[in-house]
Amino acid sequence: MATDVERKTDIGPPHYEQFLHPVMKANYGKWLYHDSIAPGVLSHTGPEGTIYTVRAASPRLASTNFIRNMTKIATDFCDGYLRFTSRNNVEFLTDKEENVDKIKAALAELKIPVGGTNNAISNVVHTQGWVHCHSAATDASGLVKVVMDELADYFTSENLPAKTRLAVACCLNMCGAVHASDIAILGVHRTPPVIDHSTLPNLCEIPTTVASCPNNAIKPTSIEGKTTVKVDEDKCMYCGNCFTVCPSMPLSDPLNDGVSIWVGGKISNARTEPMFTKLAVPYLPNNPPRWPEVTDAVKKIVDVYAANARPFERLGEWIDRISWARFFELTGFEFTKYHLDDFRWAGTTYKRSLQNRY
Amino acid sequence: MADDLKIPLLEELEKGPWPSFVTDIKSVAGKSEMAADLLRQLEKSYEDKRGYWKHGGLVGVRGYGGGVIGRYSALPEEFPGVSHFHTVRVNQPSGWVYTADALNGIMDIWDEHGSGLTNMHGSTGDMVLLGTRTEELEPTFLALTQKGWDLGGSGSDMRTPSCCIGPARCEYACFDTLALTYNLTQEYQDELHRPMFNYKFKIKVSGCPNDCTAAIARSDMAIIGIWKDDIKVNQEEFAKYVDSGMDVQGIVVDMCPTSCISVDGKTIDIDDSNCVKCMHCINKMPKALAVGDEKGAAIALGAKAPIVDGALFGSIMVPFIELEEPYEELHDLIERIWEFWDEHGKARERIGEFIERVTLARFCEEVGLDPIPQMVTHPRENPYIFYEEYFAEEGEGSEE
Amino acid sequence: MAVSVEQLADEMFAIVEESAGKRKLKAGDLQKAMAAKHGDEVSRKDVKAGIKLLIDSGRCVYGYFGGSSIELPRTEGAANE
Ligand code: SF4
Ligand code: SF4
Ligand code: SF4
Ligand code: SF4
Repeated sequence: MATDVERKTDIGPPHYEQFLHPVMKANYGKWLYHDSIAPGVLSHTGPEGTIYTVRAASPRLASTNFIRNMTKIATDFCDGYLRFTSRNNVEFLTDKEENVDKIKAALAELKIPVGGTNNAISNVVHTQGWVHCHSAATDASGLVKVVMDELADYFTSENLPAKTRLAVACCLNMCGAVHASDIAILGVHRTPPVIDHSTLPNLCEIPTTVASCPNNAIKPTSIEGKTTVKVDEDKCMYCGNCFTVCPSMPLSDPLNDGVSIWVGGKISNARTEPMFTKLAVPYLPNNPPRWPEVTDAVKKIVDVYAANARPFERLGEWIDRISWARFFELTGFEFTKYHLDDFRWAGTTYKRSLQNRY
Repeated sequence: MADDLKIPLLEELEKGPWPSFVTDIKSVAGKSEMAADLLRQLEKSYEDKRGYWKHGGLVGVRGYGGGVIGRYSALPEEFPGVSHFHTVRVNQPSGWVYTADALNGIMDIWDEHGSGLTNMHGSTGDMVLLGTRTEELEPTFLALTQKGWDLGGSGSDMRTPSCCIGPARCEYACFDTLALTYNLTQEYQDELHRPMFNYKFKIKVSGCPNDCTAAIARSDMAIIGIWKDDIKVNQEEFAKYVDSGMDVQGIVVDMCPTSCISVDGKTIDIDDSNCVKCMHCINKMPKALAVGDEKGAAIALGAKAPIVDGALFGSIMVPFIELEEPYEELHDLIERIWEFWDEHGKARERIGEFIERVTLARFCEEVGLDPIPQMVTHPRENPYIFYEEYFAEEGEGSEE
Repeated sequence: MAVSVEQLADEMFAIVEESAGKRKLKAGDLQKAMAAKHGDEVSRKDVKAGIKLLIDSGRCVYGYFGGSSIELPRTEGAANE
């Protein structure tokens, strides 16, 4: 590496303006309306003209080859302009309507679906999994792939009652938006950390490790004259907080790690206030490479929702209307003791009225 | 080389209509031994149903405490290509807009210095360059900064702010999300690159209550566009929606959460004093309805995922603030919040948990916010009030 | 007499050295220690500048385990044991 270049720091990101399509720059802050032209294709119009957007899926975990394929399409048909969405979709931006079909054709050649707009299942927000994270109870990219293989038609059409947002996170840290998605897949550990007493005294600060546990399950102890910690296994809820601050307390357990499924969250304020996801299925086995139990469960939820919800009713709004009892009835998922909350503010989830459906 | 890759389980993930990350990684495995060994190690994870990564480590670029996540394989002898597999977070441009040239430039750097794999983008918003060796970090950083890019945040710092496409392509934007995000990122470079907080602090910026960046759920400080005056109505366009056969009654009127819309034939009337700006009607009829003219943002604090004390949505601290450059009022507020949290927060205590611990009342007092009914769903239900004013028989005692 | 940034850096370095292997110090811990020692004579900004000096000079590095800390430089991969 050349050493004669000046080392710069704290320059921040480049200014966005240089990356804006001229039509977007001209209409900046002056847009009038948008239209949905086809699944995955939008047009936005302002006084200075119209910009067309073609939205394409991406695996998020993308190679430089994939990105060069995308920039090639942008160069060929969009004067080089493209963007990404908060849900890992790629958007191609052009002011030439006739280029929309060309972009779609170029994407089709690469076998990349176009869609994710309006009442579709958009791309999945997800995390690193076994590809890159030390905490993962499952893989994220693999789960996304198999679930979206199953649901791809919902990405390329707009036939659901309302938009449906999926997320996958591979441990309770939930780096994805699992706690507020219509359907969320969450990797879970189910056994307490296994303490490596040979490394813990060197690697971890005892007070920090003890303090990291929300349930006070960790206590200092001494083994062979060295201070280390022990875990009260009855109090452990396998959250992994301790592992985050102390690498000598891994939770990974191939026999017991698995996947849970959560439903009914939403972010937008449209109609109802934002909602958290709630537990639908507490445990399904990790069954790579294609996790058939998980894809079945997700498919089931989407199918039942599609068949029963009213137009523009989000999954959580639909369940609120029909009741959780009916949700379990319709999906056939078993309601278990694990569905009863026992953490902070658990009482707020208990039913305190006679208003049940019989 | 890619020819000797034996990954039968992963190859199952090359089937099906969704783009396959396996096929994609394979496409660079020929030129990148890191990518090839990543696949080999991942295959082993798929066989054994467990991950093989070690906890992070002390790596970074000189002077920065954020922007690089250290990662090492737990099986470096078996998979030397990923013995180091550090992540570099590159601060994305506001709204994730790029030109092909700019992106290709980064890809050139990454093909030279890293695994050739990325995440477009990470959960916080950064472009994530996935996998490189410690000795490549400085050269990567040097190459990036030469092209005008810088690193994002990680650790106990202000995380890279991110925003929706806002005024660049959306008629709903109530303020300039891209400009504000750029401003905050530049203003707080020190806080972004040099961790000095109790824990992370994420800022997300959405231009309207549709909240495309999930700010209300995923950011310690959510800045979400809102307007105060009336929804703008174009009756002519509304009539066209009716003529088109749209079920205006069922889809719009009946679904308004405050029942403040009425329709008479081809005319729509909104009681804006009862509208809660939920966006539903505007989303359904973007040509007939538009956000008002008196625009700004609401600020919510404290959203986070469950770790440690349970998931939280942001709580509204400021129902309306005007956001015009140079954003002094907002900078002021942010700095007061940081100062109080810095001084009194515990290690790994996010601002949401902090506010619950010190109480909202005290928090408001310390950062200079007035308690107002818009901050709560309802006033307290319990009678355990810590009164601070009382009358004394004589002498002292405060009175109003 | 105001305390110089260099002096703050030296004092903080001594604290970091002292607690090495015992307790991981955060920037906030150093802020508090300096405030306790010098009271109003030093501002948060000065302490920040002192920390920046320590890091830029390579005398200290940032560490991360669940939260960021300021530590003595360690050999590469020390967390890799
Ligand atoms: S959700 Fe957990 S396992 Fe997945 S990337 Fe985040 S911290 Fe790692
Ligand atoms: S996994 Fe969670 S509950 Fe169990 S010991 Fe660790 S911090 Fe405590
Ligand atoms: S948050 Fe609102 S303003 Fe921003 S892109 Fe989404 S709909 Fe448009
Ligand atoms: S924005 Fe929401 S609350 Fe306001 S009129 Fe429209 S539907 Fe009703």
